Amino acid sequence: MNLKTSTRQVFAFFSFLGRKTGKTRVFAIIGLIPVALAVVGRIVLHGRSGDMAAVFTEILMVFFLQFYIVILSLFYGTSVTAEEVEGRTLSYLVTRPIPKTAVIVGKYAAYSLIMSVIVSVSLGLSFFVLNSSRLDRPAIYTTFLGYLGVLILGILAYTAFFTFLGALLKKAIILGLIFGFGWENVIQYFPGSTQRFSLVHYLKSLLPYRPTTVGGGRGVALLLFRLEPTPPALAVTMLFLIAAVFLVLACLRFRTKEYLYED
Amino acid sequence: MTAVIVASNLSKYYGNVLGLNDVSLEIESGVTGLLGPNGAGKSTFMKLITGQMKPNIGRVTVRGGKVWNNPDLFRSIGFCPEQDVFYEDMTGFEFVAGLLRFYGYGPAEVRERASRALDTVDLSKDKDRLIRGYSRGMRQRVKFAQAIAHDPDILILDEPLSGLDPLGKRKLIKLIKDFRNEGRTVLVSSHVLPEIEALTSRVVLVHQGKILAQGDVPYIRELIEAHPHMISVRSSGPRALAARFVGDPAIQKMTFAPDGRTLVVETHKRDDFYGRLTGAVLEGGIEVEEISSPDDNLQAVFEYLVGK
Repeated sequence: MNLKTSTRQVFAFFSFLGRKTGKTRVFAIIGLIPVALAVVGRIVLHGRSGDMAAVFTEILMVFFLQFYIVILSLFYGTSVTAEEVEGRTLSYLVTRPIPKTAVIVGKYAAYSLIMSVIVSVSLGLSFFVLNSSRLDRPAIYTTFLGYLGVLILGILAYTAFFTFLGALLKKAIILGLIFGFGWENVIQYFPGSTQRFSLVHYLKSLLPYRPTTVGGGRGVALLLFRLEPTPPALAVTMLFLIAAVFLVLACLRFRTKEYLYED
Repeated sequence: MTAVIVASNLSKYYGNVLGLNDVSLEIESGVTGLLGPNGAGKSTFMKLITGQMKPNIGRVTVRGGKVWNNPDLFRSIGFCPEQDVFYEDMTGFEFVAGLLRFYGYGPAEVRERASRALDTVDLSKDKDRLIRGYSRGMRQRVKFAQAIAHDPDILILDEPLSGLDPLGKRKLIKLIKDFRNEGRTVLVSSHVLPEIEALTSRVVLVHQGKILAQGDVPYIRELIEAHPHMISVRSSGPRALAARFVGDPAIQKMTFAPDGRTLVVETHKRDDFYGRLTGAVLEGGIEVEEISSPDDNLQAVFEYLVGK
């Protein structure tokens, strides 16, 4: 089978399997947290649409951007290789007439899709709960799609990076945690071009810069402090490039590395 | 006959641990048994010939083609791993059908082949149950089903009979023999001689990463027969019993165990000894409590062959 067909088959296999795993259920449940926050916000801030927008920005920046897509990508990305090696199921995949590259790309695509669906549902529910009074305005839907697009781009880039890490290292999750919640959080506060060495910088560059002092806005202002945004077109290009480069590196590593089970 | 699998000077190390040491082997069509105790290097050899590992030294080919990163080769190979591992959240049918998709079959053919393979291993009734709920025997059978579902010419089975009940074993042995009768190649590993004996007369003995011997089962049996057997007889009169065997040419050595009730006999002619033991016990009025043969196993044969 050629690479394209093999990748499609691997994608089908793992998008089916991925839907059934406990990991997906757990992460889907975690995705209800912002929905619950949105419901509470809606009740507390009844009628104050400006404040509700600020609450949503908080949820978007703090929960989705800096936690949810990072943790999702970390667990799904590293598991592209690691769960096969730790679960010893790799034998079933590498003894099939499919290129090893197809295993990585197909599984990456399947998991990215699952994560995107989980995030879409969670983001959609929390966004529309908080903006339910403005559902008649078409602009609200454009804004939502914009936010969703940024998060999906984040998922693609982070997952590619973590897939590479998983293909490279045995205990990739630890280094992934340090990267996702250490490096990514710290580096963005550095002035100048240093912050460009983080993925979150490009993601934030795509979101509207809205420092506010209303309600929970202080946190957002802090998070965006010193952001020197990259132009949106360049930010999107960089995110796609990062995803492509790390995915290629993951495929090369998986093709050449010999994975041994621990026995 | 042309060799299907050819291993030349194959060596594999896990850091400082030797997995396989300078193994050269040619496997022809029919059933070949890879026999050796746990940790002998059987699984390492199987992983090398299925491209799951790269040899440190040497070369392995299947039908003349290299195996590492050569996915096309796997169209004709079916592999049943030793590990009891699965995608547990799938049903038996989903598992077999899902893996079949990697061969490029259309949905109808995938369904048909998966159903046929599961039917072959008597799992049709349970095909829609989650694998995590399967018994050990069922898991072993579904593992075999995924190996045969694409109708391969070469079957590589790592300890396929382990965990099966006698009926399951008999059924699987018949299936493997059917494969052989169709002119296909089967390489099967086990650490139990009778299991291999039931499958084939062509045996390769592996121990500590090396091939100790290869030949047919009668030859292996001869090796076992040449090995002096230790037989322990616990009885009411071990010394009286020993007196009856003094001068018996079948006996090489007799000792008494520390418990004072057990006679330990070393013999090259096990059957002769057992034949005479009955008479000696009856004539001497000796009450026998237990007869055991502590080294009558494959491990002892291997140790004997490596000169321990």
